[in-house]
Amino acid sequence: MTHFLLRRLVAALFLLLIVLSLTFFILQLAPGDPISRFNNPRLTVEQVEHMRRAWGLDRPIHIQYLSWMKRVIFHWDWGISFIHRRPAASVIAQALPLTLLLGTTALVLQYCFGLLLGAFSARRAGSPEDAVVRLSSLVVYSIPNFWLALMAILVFHIRWNIFPGSGSGSIGAETLDFLPRTLDRLHHLALPALVLAISSAAGISRFVRNSLLDVLKQDYIQTARSTGASQDRVLWVHALRNTVVPLAQLVGLSLPTMLNGVLMIEVVFGWPGLGFAIFQACLSRDYPMILAGTAYGAVLVICGSLLADLLHRWADPRLRVEA
Amino acid sequence: MPYSSYRISIALTLILLGTGTYLVFRGNPVSVGQPQEVALPSEPEPGGTLVLGFTSDLSNLNEIAASSSQATSEILQRLFVRLLDEQPDFQDHPPTFKPRLAESYEWSDDHKKVTFHLRKDAVWSDGVPITAADVRWTWQAQTDPLVAWDNAAMKESITEVEVIDPHTVRFHFTHAYPGQMVHANEGVILPKHAWSELPFSDWVKNAQWFQDNLVVSGPFQLESWKPQEQIVLSRNERYFEAGLPLVDRVVIKVVPDLAAQLTLFQGGTLDYLRQVPASLADQVAQSPQTRLVTYWPAQFTTLMWNLRRDLFNTAQVRRALTLAIDRKTIVDTIWHGYARTANSPIISSVWGHNRDLEHYPYSPEQARNLLAAEGWQDTDGNGILDRGGVDFSFEILVNSGNQERIDTAVMIQNQLQKVGIAVQPRVLEWSTIDARMSSGEFGALIMGLSVETSLDVSSYFHSKKMTSGLNSGGYSNPDADQLMTDIRNQIDQQTAQPLLNRLQEILHEDQPQTFLWEPQRLVGLSNRVQDASPNVMGTLDNLRHWWIFPKN
Repeated sequence: MTHFLLRRLVAALFLLLIVLSLTFFILQLAPGDPISRFNNPRLTVEQVEHMRRAWGLDRPIHIQYLSWMKRVIFHWDWGISFIHRRPAASVIAQALPLTLLLGTTALVLQYCFGLLLGAFSARRAGSPEDAVVRLSSLVVYSIPNFWLALMAILVFHIRWNIFPGSGSGSIGAETLDFLPRTLDRLHHLALPALVLAISSAAGISRFVRNSLLDVLKQDYIQTARSTGASQDRVLWVHALRNTVVPLAQLVGLSLPTMLNGVLMIEVVFGWPGLGFAIFQACLSRDYPMILAGTAYGAVLVICGSLLADLLHRWADPRLRVEA
Repeated sequence: MPYSSYRISIALTLILLGTGTYLVFRGNPVSVGQPQEVALPSEPEPGGTLVLGFTSDLSNLNEIAASSSQATSEILQRLFVRLLDEQPDFQDHPPTFKPRLAESYEWSDDHKKVTFHLRKDAVWSDGVPITAADVRWTWQAQTDPLVAWDNAAMKESITEVEVIDPHTVRFHFTHAYPGQMVHANEGVILPKHAWSELPFSDWVKNAQWFQDNLVVSGPFQLESWKPQEQIVLSRNERYFEAGLPLVDRVVIKVVPDLAAQLTLFQGGTLDYLRQVPASLADQVAQSPQTRLVTYWPAQFTTLMWNLRRDLFNTAQVRRALTLAIDRKTIVDTIWHGYARTANSPIISSVWGHNRDLEHYPYSPEQARNLLAAEGWQDTDGNGILDRGGVDFSFEILVNSGNQERIDTAVMIQNQLQKVGIAVQPRVLEWSTIDARMSSGEFGALIMGLSVETSLDVSSYFHSKKMTSGLNSGGYSNPDADQLMTDIRNQIDQQTAQPLLNRLQEILHEDQPQTFLWEPQRLVGLSNRVQDASPNVMGTLDNLRHWWIFPKN
């Protein structure tokens, strides 16, 4: 187990290095640089040169790359964000917890909904209820996230006013005590997390339904039934466990998609997380922010798939024996 | 599953979805009951909270260390004051100014010095008086190369800012010229006592420091700032204009997605929308809860020809191209009536505009004749004009993300096809276009330009700006060059009108660019916002006079 973990960690570090170097060079390959954004006829050539020097953009690319790598590896210094004019790491440090909160909540919700709906559907396979669940999940799955988000704002914020439509907290929430502050945060979290969860949940429910139906045909289920176990026990205890195994793998695979979804949802709901920060950084060629954002995003995905692997090994005893 | 039960379930799903949709959207979506018919009080009522929608965040609290953005400067001008307030009425006459931090000013006889008398009651939000030393130090920061302020070039002709006494300060200029006051007044006054400890060399990298050491001079102060989310401004009790601002607080919500912002605005969560897309303007104007405020910003969109290419190097051909483009239809289709066709870089909403210019009509006939006279004819019968074996074919560059310009390029492609010119619209990222402009590798390109109040257009048309400015089309006309230089040296701008008229005639004749349209700025306001007048100086120009009625 330790050996496995170690191997995976080393591989992850390598992967991270490759992702970062690629991002660095691809950014450099794109024409123009952050200074060209200020396409200001009033700016003199000297001023532009001075700004380039101040930001270290006048040096050859490989020197920029090496000095940047050195600072990142030895000092965890990601440089100064061009737009925020403060260390990129501190901007990310503010944004990351919010993205983690939104992402994990949505992840948990989507698997809960997906499992419940899938199991419900499988149990009543062939019935009209099953068809309703399957059809509506197909409909929901096909709706683009951003549209769903706008509709959610329209309905739950504008029309019924039960959830806030943007931001991560009320005005002045930071002065509240812990409990009311947490409740306020959850209140703001509800809509983006639900929107993010619901369309993935639809996909998962179809996956769970189909693999449950496969499992239910297996011999050991017949054996379980013949011991007199109730229908519910057979489904939730015996069958579901084997359905969870491939699902655990799905978690790892769905993480990058999840992060993409988070980006979109953050922009629509004005949720000031990592996606929002990277989005703005890309618009203004804020190299340090893009690089730092990509790195943290990559770490999230790598950690997530590592976790999913561990989960997979826990759920499937056969893998443990092989190791 | 049997066929019939499948049909039943489809029906069930549809019924469920339908009922849900009906329940959600039935009736009037926003107002509960009718809008109150309460008479507006004759006097403004102070108090209340305004909620504004922005698509981007404030970047820095120090204007001259910030990466320039309209959003940032709009917010900062509510926190800090300038010496004078430039008035938005320069469509009628050259710019005029009203007192703000300076209560009066006078010019020396040779017009090379201006002396400002500061208000004696003006203090920073920590109680320290605002003095001439602040004004001088601000100028030093603005012009320091280490700070590299975007607008530093506006201070080029100011040689010294002299402190006469704590409330008197004198600006010295190298020579007299029309933009002197605009240049002296550019930029907010910064707090020397609070910010001078940080050396200029550290300014570009220390946004946090300015926030930690913030004192303000304007009507509002910063109550809180959650980056990328919201900025809360509240009344600065020490602001020198008694009784202002009228509202207690202003909350600025950062929502980068325009569609989400519109939804929040129409639902009443936001009182103000910085930019309403033209396609939705009528909806905002007709809604009982909101209204549309429009003004003409000093901007125009233009189609620049690359005069270095043989295709475009005669004025006759460029006039033919303008005649072959149906600008009226483009404007009506894309802007839904919220723009007008342009015919001069000194646009029709500023004082120096030459009102005698004749609009080029849309006339493919005339265009064809002009082109034929230049030797462009379809000799090989492929539907495209040619001359000396070369087809009349080129690319129009447009920047990605700007749908209006992309649509325009496609419409121009269709229109020019009718006179036998083949156009390929090409959408590129702005920095690529920028690089192509510097290297001259383009046929034509669509871009937006702004007009300064000094009406100096030399950065767009002077032959000196062919390499380092925005005249990358390579236009060069000695008469125009001379006129632009003369205009810059007219102290009394009114006397510049004949020169401006002549310059516009030359540009009209030469058509170095086909001037496409002058866009209108569309601001959305909730009907509970009173006395707001977004104008060419900024959408939040008189925010301190805004008030709210009814409060809820």
